[in-house]
Amino acid sequence: MFGLIGHSTSFEDAKRKASMLGFDHIADGDLDVWCTAPPQLVENVEVKSATGISIEGSYIDSCFVPEMLSRFKTARRKVLNAMELAQKKGINITALGGFTSIIFENFNLLQHKQIRNTSLEWERFTTGNTHTAWVICKQLEINAPRIGIDLKKATVAVIGATGDIGSAVCRWLINKTGISELLMVARQQEPLALLQKELDGGTVTSLNEALPQADIVVWVASMPKTIEIDTDNLKKPCLMIDGGYPKNLDEKFQGENIHVLKGGIVEFFNDIGWNMMELAEMQNPQREMFACFAEAMILEFEKCHTNFSWGRNNISLEKMEFIGAASLKHGFSAIGLDKHPKVLTV
Amino acid sequence: MHNELKITDMQTLESNKKNIEESTNPISLNLPDFTTDSYKDAYSRINAIVIEGEQEAHDNYISIATLIPNELEELTKLARMEMKHKKGFTACGRNLGVVADMEFAKKFFSKLHGNFQVALEKGNLTTCLLIQAILIEAFAISAYNVYIRVADPFAKKITEGVVKDEYLHLNYGQEWLKENLSTCKEELMEANKVNLPLIKKMLDEVADDASVLAMDREELMEEFMIAYQDTLMEIGLDNREIARMAMAAIV
Repeated sequence: MFGLIGHSTSFEDAKRKASMLGFDHIADGDLDVWCTAPPQLVENVEVKSATGISIEGSYIDSCFVPEMLSRFKTARRKVLNAMELAQKKGINITALGGFTSIIFENFNLLQHKQIRNTSLEWERFTTGNTHTAWVICKQLEINAPRIGIDLKKATVAVIGATGDIGSAVCRWLINKTGISELLMVARQQEPLALLQKELDGGTVTSLNEALPQADIVVWVASMPKTIEIDTDNLKKPCLMIDGGYPKNLDEKFQGENIHVLKGGIVEFFNDIGWNMMELAEMQNPQREMFACFAEAMILEFEKCHTNFSWGRNNISLEKMEFIGAASLKHGFSAIGLDKHPKVLTV
Repeated sequence: MHNELKITDMQTLESNKKNIEESTNPISLNLPDFTTDSYKDAYSRINAIVIEGEQEAHDNYISIATLIPNELEELTKLARMEMKHKKGFTACGRNLGVVADMEFAKKFFSKLHGNFQVALEKGNLTTCLLIQAILIEAFAISAYNVYIRVADPFAKKITEGVVKDEYLHLNYGQEWLKENLSTCKEELMEANKVNLPLIKKMLDEVADDASVLAMDREELMEEFMIAYQDTLMEIGLDNREIARMAMAAIV
């Protein structure tokens, strides 16, 4: 069995969905009620791979909402309780979706292995970051030429380069794509210098300097609501890949010849017959999902029951190639610019 | 281009940096000072509730046995276990030099106690099991789970032993209700509507004392809801039915 741990994008949204699902006790509750709500196993589903193999899985809503980010004890409990539920249900491999893996990493939840009478087995969980990184790279390779960007001459900026996904994307771009130049932007300078040394390439720079030079910008750090960017200073055409969470780049970059692509989203070859991605606000919810979720499915298809993506900076090129090949084999593909023309101003 | 745009603004979690540091610092476990007067004062009531709770559990299981005589042996075993727990928690109070306020505790349980007695007289086994095997057990296990994280070393060890036992016998009432669900569901729902709000009130009533012991009200309530939901799920109720039952906790 595979598992997906997800959450709503806002408190209002969460209440609306709870009401839809018949969870009236929390749908009518205030944020305090949600802070005390147990995780919910919302749906079971069967998925059939392009190879014909069938697997079963569950979607667990952690009852976390982004409004709880400032209450670290609450956020921590939501993630750990959802993980405990997944393990108690006997799920082999569960992906930590949305803020879940970010909270796990940033709040250092590794030190909280014992949850009530359950000792969490980390090998049952994956951040899904390897698949996300691979999908973002593929989205870049496939879609840049479509809008007239020649990869061999392209300058690519990775914003959030030292993160788990960001560093993997940099590694792939340097070693696998033959791009002209890689600009690396991150909050912390020390890991950035280390990454540059490891890659033996790439230029460390600031966001303000990177944006006007870049033909392609990969965002793997989330955008705060308050920032505004003058699109006149961007190159045209420009491909923006929104690999952060939540995905809000299309609100920021609207302009002619600026192409915004939702990063790290894949499409399955067949309808899945679930409701869970409607909850995740996918545009084609029967087929589309976050690549991190798909990673749990792929690992289950492959009977590869291990915490494939775990910790920071452990994503190797070999792992990306493995998960990428399995992804294609089982019927996943990265969504491209042609999928959602309404978010584009071409 | 806005020059003031800094990469430091990029992290969604950045505003929580201080919290994150706190959370990763082991000292932030914030064990309370077990020797202060305010701690002992709060402990005199919490400890009494726990002792009284175990006594009630003992008496309730003996009473339940009168309704299902063929389970006498099993229920007597359970009751004996609860008495062992009571002794353990009495030792915890003594270890801290605290005299448990048993009068307060008896009053604390009086309504739930009264409802149990009425159900017993009427022979309403489902209601008795809901009160003891679901609500009181979930209340106890949630409180113990939270307490273990902030207890003094002596009490921590005792409580860990108790929790192990509690996880064992939470199953008893569950099993009976599961087997008889088709005939007892209606009574279960009705009894829940009356008694779950009492648990919520009891939690609210001890919240201040609990917080002196570094037990967070939100965490207590969440632990309770998890244990409660788990039990109902085991019994065989579906998500919507559980949601409907849990509703009684917020109205």
